[in-house]
Amino acid sequence: MAKAATGRSHRIRHVSELDLLPVMNLFCVIIPFLLLSASFLEITIIEMSPTEGISTGAGTTSLAQSEEQQLQPKIILTNEEMFLGTVFGTRSIGRVFLEDRHGEMVNTYDYDALSDALGDFREELDGAFPTIPVHKITILTVDDVRYDNIVMTIDVCAYHAFDQPGLQVAAYNVLQRQIFAGAAGE
Amino acid sequence: MSAPTKRHLPLTLGYRKTKAVVRGKDKKVTLNLTSMIDMFTILVVFLLKSYSAEGQIVSLSDALTLPESSSERKIELNLEIIVTNDAIIVDGEPIVFVDELILSEGNPIPVLVERLSDHLEYTRQMRGIIDETEMRVNIQGDVATRAILLQRVMSSCAQAGYTTQNLTVIKVEGDDEQ
Repeated sequence: MAKAATGRSHRIRHVSELDLLPVMNLFCVIIPFLLLSASFLEITIIEMSPTEGISTGAGTTSLAQSEEQQLQPKIILTNEEMFLGTVFGTRSIGRVFLEDRHGEMVNTYDYDALSDALGDFREELDGAFPTIPVHKITILTVDDVRYDNIVMTIDVCAYHAFDQPGLQVAAYNVLQRQIFAGAAGE
Repeated sequence: MSAPTKRHLPLTLGYRKTKAVVRGKDKKVTLNLTSMIDMFTILVVFLLKSYSAEGQIVSLSDALTLPESSSERKIELNLEIIVTNDAIIVDGEPIVFVDELILSEGNPIPVLVERLSDHLEYTRQMRGIIDETEMRVNIQGDVATRAILLQRVMSSCAQAGYTTQNLTVIKVEGDDEQ
């Protein structure tokens, strides 16, 4: 049976394929290079602010600085409890509890409660003293508080714009005096 | 030539060749690279995202685990002080071995102050002038380091003239709400 004349060419059309080999070659070079120079662990820093215990020798104290110093809060970390000391008084944030950290049971604090308390304090501060920017905060601890607890506390403080932390370490009885003095002034 | 019998077939094909292979002998076999290119593209995008042009400017000690923080401040190349529960190391050199005596007091550590002052003096002599960027140290502390040790190191730095002390941490993605 004869085929109907369609007028179309019956040549087989070859679909042109993209030559991917140069791209593969490029990838084979670029991937090892990027793997070598990639940083999967990002290292950052926390800049600490000098506190009374860490003197810089700079003796410039303006009125604004002294006002800020008066208003700057203190977070007191003891082995039993965490306190927040502000111009409005000192109050307990929460008791220490044990937490499993990398397979080790360690003392930790209630950072959510601290965040709530600092948030409230920030609102009060901005309402009562809107012209004084308070960024400094002192972390006052007993001598055996773990470093990671201090860093976690600094993180919570930075979240509420208290981003110039200072560290002070004192004996437990000194801290007790601070806590009682703050509570009495409330 | 007669067709090979079943008995002679292995001799014609070769023992490892199948009939299908012999039939498609002239065909050019091409590898389908599309899926591999897809995978490589994803890999390249991921690696480009984590690419660091600055390189590694800090060497982390195996003897310590750095704490995690949501701080976003980039690390700078400064004098490195490593604080573990066993020793205090300045610029790769162990200066103080940590014992109960070190942990019982709260003042600057004299040996450390001396070593840091020497370093600062050396920098002053080499460069002629000391600006603020030279007066910075990065402190790498182990997560289990006690606050008293950290405070002693920081106060030693301050006494030696290093006015800015940075704590080196590993960045974690911060939550929207702490």
